[in-house]
Amino acid sequence: MNQITMQRRARLLAGFAPQAVQAAKPAALDITEIRHFPIREPVSGNRYSLLRIKTRSELTGWGECPYDPNTDTKTLESAWIGRPANGYATIPPSTPFRAALDIALLDILGKAANAPVYRILGGPTRSKVRAYSSPSAEDFPVAVIEVPKPVWRNQGKAYQNQILELANAVSPDRDFILTANGLLTPGDAASVGRSVESKHPLWFDEPCPHSNIDAVRKVANETVVPLGFGAGIEDPGIFQALLREGLIDLVRPEIGIFGISGTRRVAALAEPYYVAVAPRHNGGPVTTAAAIHIAASIPNFFIQHVPRPAAEADRAMRHEIVSPALETGKSGFLEVTKSPGLGITVNEAALEKYHAS
Amino acid sequence: MRRRNFLALGSAGIVTAGTRNRTRLETSSCGCSFLPQAAGPLGLEAFADTNSGLKISGLKVFGVSLTPNSDRPYVFVKLETNQGLIGWGEGTLEGKAGAVMACINDFRDFLVGADPMQVEHIWQSMYVHSFYRAGPVIGSAIAGIDQALWDLRGKALGMPVYKLLGGPFDPRGVRGYYHIDGAGRERLAEIRETAREQGITCVKGGIPGYYEWLERRPKIDRAIKAIQLLREALGPDIDIAVDFHAKTSPSVASIIVKEVEPLNLLFVEEPCPPENVQAMAKIARRSTTPIATGERLIASYGCRELIEMGVVDILQTDINHVGGITALWKVAATANVSSISMAPHACEGPIGGLATIQVDAAMPNFLVQEICGQVKPNPTDKIWEEWLGFPAMRMVDGHFPLSEKPGLGFELSEASLAKYPFGGTRPMARVFHEDGSVAEW
Repeated sequence: MNQITMQRRARLLAGFAPQAVQAAKPAALDITEIRHFPIREPVSGNRYSLLRIKTRSELTGWGECPYDPNTDTKTLESAWIGRPANGYATIPPSTPFRAALDIALLDILGKAANAPVYRILGGPTRSKVRAYSSPSAEDFPVAVIEVPKPVWRNQGKAYQNQILELANAVSPDRDFILTANGLLTPGDAASVGRSVESKHPLWFDEPCPHSNIDAVRKVANETVVPLGFGAGIEDPGIFQALLREGLIDLVRPEIGIFGISGTRRVAALAEPYYVAVAPRHNGGPVTTAAAIHIAASIPNFFIQHVPRPAAEADRAMRHEIVSPALETGKSGFLEVTKSPGLGITVNEAALEKYHAS
Repeated sequence: MRRRNFLALGSAGIVTAGTRNRTRLETSSCGCSFLPQAAGPLGLEAFADTNSGLKISGLKVFGVSLTPNSDRPYVFVKLETNQGLIGWGEGTLEGKAGAVMACINDFRDFLVGADPMQVEHIWQSMYVHSFYRAGPVIGSAIAGIDQALWDLRGKALGMPVYKLLGGPFDPRGVRGYYHIDGAGRERLAEIRETAREQGITCVKGGIPGYYEWLERRPKIDRAIKAIQLLREALGPDIDIAVDFHAKTSPSVASIIVKEVEPLNLLFVEEPCPPENVQAMAKIARRSTTPIATGERLIASYGCRELIEMGVVDILQTDINHVGGITALWKVAATANVSSISMAPHACEGPIGGLATIQVDAAMPNFLVQEICGQVKPNPTDKIWEEWLGFPAMRMVDGHFPLSEKPGLGFELSEASLAKYPFGGTRPMARVFHEDGSVAEW
C-alpha cells in the first residue's frame, strides 16, 4: 500500500460510526456465566482449556482452545456476561479464549435452534469427514511421514534419498502426507519436494517457515508437490499473501486460534483461489467436534487431523470427558453428528479429575 | 415431447414450469452422457442420515412491475416446503427481468426435493453445475433462490438470519443512506434539516451529464461544482458519497476526484466501469478520497482481484446479483482481510433490502447500507409498506432497524403482488453523446 492509500484507509476507519453496543433488553440467550476448566492429558502432559458458558435460558455451551497459563477469564467475563450468545461473529480477534468462546457460542446457538451447528451455518455440505491421525491407525489409513531431523543447515542428496526410502516404504495404494514442521531451509524443502513429487504425496506440510514469502516462492516454483501451511498463523492476511501468489495448496488455519467461524472465514478467503482447507488441530475432543462442524459447513474442506495420543491412558481420558466418542474413524472418515449444537456431552466430573493446575 | 411451459408471461406474472421431462439422451457430440435422473436433486442419497426432514416442494417466480414500463420489474422467488413453511427471495436484475425469471426456473431440478437447510451445498451446486460459473443472470437467479433458502432456514430454526450469522454488531440496526440525486441548493438545505431531525448521517448524490473519454473544461468544472455544492449545502456534519456510476473514464475520473479531495467525501462510487481492475487502481492510487465499487460483481470469485490487490476501500456488492446472503457474507469476509469496508448496493425491491441488512448486521467491516429511497418517503415506500405491513427499508435514527422475527422477518402474500402484474422486460436507460455515440450512464 502506498502512502496515499494508507491515508485514505485511516480516514475511512475514523469515519466509522462508533458501533457502541447498547445495553439491550434482557434476552433468553444472554450469557450469565463463563467458567474455565484447564485440562491435562495424564501421560503426554498436553494441556487445553475448556470453556463452559451458560445463558439466561439455562443452555450450556462448550468450547476449547489451547491452554495459556497467563490468561484468566476476567476480561472475558467483563466483556461478555450479559451479551447475547448469538453474537459469535462480534468476537474481536484479540479476545482471550477467542476460539473457545466462538465454539461455545455456536454450541449454544445450535441448542437454542435445536439443530447441529453445521445446519446453523448452512450445511451439511458433506455426509462424512475425511480424516487422518498421527501416528496413523487402522481407522485412519493415511500415513504421515515426518522428515528426519536435518543434521546440517543444507542437506544433500543422501537426505533426499532417505526421505524417498520412507515414501517408498508406504504401499502404493496408501496415501501419505510428508511433514517437515517448518524445519527445512527453502533449498532443502524444494529439493525434498522435487524428489518425492512423483510419489504423489497428498501434500507436503510446513516444508519451511512461511515468514519469508520469497523463500516459500522458491519452494513453490521448484516443485509441484502440494504445499500446506498454517502452523501458528494468527493473521488471515498471511494466508491471503500465500494465496495471492499461488504459493499454497492447502490452507491450514488452527481451530485453536480461529474457532469455527474464524476458520470458516479463512475457508471463504481460499475458495476463489480453488484452494481447500484442512484445519489444524492439536487439542482435545471438543475441538474434534468443532472440526466436524467446520468440515460439514464449508464447501472447500479436504481433510481433518485428529490427535491420537500414544498412551492408552490419554486416549481413555479423551473418551471419558466427551461423549459420544467422535474420534473413531470409519475407513478414514469421521461421522457427521446429528444432535443439536456440537452434538456432545461433557462429563464435568471427569474434568475435575484431569484438572491441569 | 412435452416442452416446458417456459415463460408464462401471463397477467399474474407468474412463471411456472410444466411437468418435468426426463428424456434419455445417449451421448451428445461433446461426449457428455446424460443419464436418466431420479426425481429430485442428484446426490441426495448421501445426506439421507443428516437431512432435516424439511423438503422443497415448489418453486414460484414472480415478475412484479410497479409501473407498466418499469425497467426493473422485481423478480421474486417463493419456495414452498412439505411442512408448509414458505421462503421468499429476490433476484431483480435491471433490464433483464425475463432472463432471470427463466434462469430461476432452470434451477428447478436443483431445488424441488432438496433439503432447504443445506444452503451452502445448494449454492455450490447451482454455481458449479452451471458450468459457465456465474455472470449477472445466473448470479441474480442464485441470489433470489439463496435468499429464499435463508428465509426458510431462519423460519425453521426460529431465528432471524442475522443471528444465525453471528450478529448483530450494533443492536440499533444497520447504518444507512438515502439518495439526493438532482437536488438544487434549496432542496439540499431542506434535506439537511430533515436529515438532522431524523438522525440520518449519510446521503449520496451523483454527477450531472455524461462524459466522453477525455472531457472539456466546462464539463469537468460543472461536475466539480456539483460535488462542491453538496458539501456547501449539506454542511460538514453529514457524510456525503458521490456516485460516478461509471459515466467517467479513468482519466476523467482521476481529474475530478483529485479536485474534490478537500471535501472529505465518504466515498466516490464506480469512477470507471468495473471490468478492469488496473483501471480502477489507476484512479484509486492517486486519490485520498475513498473509492467504492462492486455492485456489478458476482460471487467472491468476481471480487478476488480487487480484494487481493487492495485496490478500493469499499466494496458494494449487491445481494440481488452477487449470489444472495451466502455470497455477500463471503465477499465481506474476504474483503475484511484486506481492510476493505462493505457498503452494499441496493436499488431494487424490498426483499433484497431486508436480506442485505441481515448480512450487514453480522459484518465486522460494515460501513453503510444503500437504499434507493429518499429522505422523505415516496410512492414506492408506500407500496412496500402495503405489501409487508411495515415501512420496510425506512431508517429510524439513521439505522435500518433489525427485526426479531425469524428468517428475513416479513410475510408476503401472492395476492398483494397481483396488483402489479409483470409488464415485461424493459431496457435500462440508453444514453448517447451529442454525436450519437454510445455513452455510459
